[in-house]
Amino acid sequence: MLIEARGVTMRFGGFTAVDAVDLDVAEGRITGLIGPNGAGKSTFFNCLAGDYRPSAGSIRFAGREIAGLTPESHARLGMARTYQVPHTFTDMSVGDNVMVGAFLRHRRTADARRAADAVLERTGLAGQARHRASSLGTAGRKRLEIARALATEPKVLLLDEALAGLTATEIQAAITLVRDIHRSGITIVIVEHIMEVILSLADRVTVFHHGRIISQGTPGEVTGDPKVVEAYLGRSLERQRQRAAEASG
Amino acid sequence: MARFVLAVAIAIALVFPLVFSGAFYERVAALTLLYAIAASAWNLIGGYAGQVSVGHVVFFGCGAYGAAVAYSEWGLPPIAGLPLGVGAAVLLAALVGVPTLRLSGHYFTMATVALAELIRILVGNVPVLGAAVGLMGPAVPRSVWDLSFTSSLPYYYLFLAVLAGLLLFTWWMERSRMGFYLRAIKGSERAARSLGIPVGRYKLYALMLSAGFTAVAGALYLVMVGFVDPDSGVGILLSVKMLIMAALGGAGTLFGPLIGALILVPLEEISNSLLGGQGSGVTFVVYGGIILLIAVFQPGGILAMVAGWWRKS
Repeated sequence: MLIEARGVTMRFGGFTAVDAVDLDVAEGRITGLIGPNGAGKSTFFNCLAGDYRPSAGSIRFAGREIAGLTPESHARLGMARTYQVPHTFTDMSVGDNVMVGAFLRHRRTADARRAADAVLERTGLAGQARHRASSLGTAGRKRLEIARALATEPKVLLLDEALAGLTATEIQAAITLVRDIHRSGITIVIVEHIMEVILSLADRVTVFHHGRIISQGTPGEVTGDPKVVEAYLGRSLERQRQRAAEASG
Repeated sequence: MARFVLAVAIAIALVFPLVFSGAFYERVAALTLLYAIAASAWNLIGGYAGQVSVGHVVFFGCGAYGAAVAYSEWGLPPIAGLPLGVGAAVLLAALVGVPTLRLSGHYFTMATVALAELIRILVGNVPVLGAAVGLMGPAVPRSVWDLSFTSSLPYYYLFLAVLAGLLLFTWWMERSRMGFYLRAIKGSERAARSLGIPVGRYKLYALMLSAGFTAVAGALYLVMVGFVDPDSGVGILLSVKMLIMAALGGAGTLFGPLIGALILVPLEEISNSLLGGQGSGVTFVVYGGIILLIAVFQPGGILAMVAGWWRKS
């Protein structure tokens, strides 16, 4: 396993956002984390990425304990992430944004430039490389975040709602990009609340609810799981109908 | 085009004091360059890294007092105190930077204000530093190493050389990994860290570099003016001047601080000479007005405005 999380718990004051979560991410897979709003998936994701230090539990990445390490150490070890709301360096050009990521593995400016150009080409941003990053719209900024993360040459890419807020065509383009990145051998963990996206992308899906994992498996298995349906839709229609019948009878 | 503008600017800088000779012009020109050095030094941390310090006068004071102490304590030429001043400034930056750079945004700025005021009061009570009275450089030059000239012209060329060196360094830094990292930190510390940038360390490097160069400006100030007291050496107004010059010209740009100094220093010197001793209060009012104008109309400074016109035309 590339990532092994055991008993990961995150408390904010008296509130337990993530409660003793175990999760394995296999190398070379696309793992989806889903769940209703407030399920704890983003909090867990932030623990994986190093933005949060878990209150308890262990996270091993390529056999190494990483829980509590700084975000910059995570990046150095080969974990890159994007943010739900893009943190674009708006004062810099699109190309220079990607350069910042490329400098992690390439000290010299010329080498970083070359690496960044390759990433820009691959992510379809080469045409806008010289534009100011502030000129990009939401879809462009999300793409730029992925490019910047890729430039750090990660083993695993953590995508936090990389497709939220995009139009249908933009979503298709983004899915193509994620597939392409995956084919190049990078393991992907994606948090998403658009079901269709996860179902078409992920090999394995983990469903969060109230800070715990309620279901794991292939997309097919998970969507067939009554617990998942209940978490998303509340009580199932069938049971509601039964209740109604009992009440009137 | 840019190269042509640069070549013309350098040519003008080299011959300016020869064309506009006269004690007043020469003095204003030399002071302009001196402040441009200080503002460009401030720009490394305040402009590129976006950590706005209003305590930089402390580092300027390290340089000025270092040079003054070299003479008053050991009878050396003031310029011999430059390494002492720079060393003290870099050390102070390291000591102060570790706790204060953890603060974000306005809190860092407020901490630097507090620090500067604390140091000013401290300096005013230390006898070796002349306490409230201040320290003098050599009254008459004992050798050429005292760098004491009646004309401002030698200072002008000395400052021009130092400024050129500092801008060359900044130009190189802008293109290096450090320059990219500082701008990334300014953009978003969180994203910078996620891309593997040790944010705290880079901010500290930038502050130490900035402090060292600011101390150079302080030492040069003492060499030219020959006197420093708590108000002129560690008074808060000078910190504000560095910030405003950089912001007016364009913080985080190579030539922004120089352009700011080119506008503000002559303005101040002229208003001082017109209004005499009563004019010093007016400076505060003018600076307040400029802060307001920049904040409301052109946060990017003059260079951003010109770049905007350039793109439109």
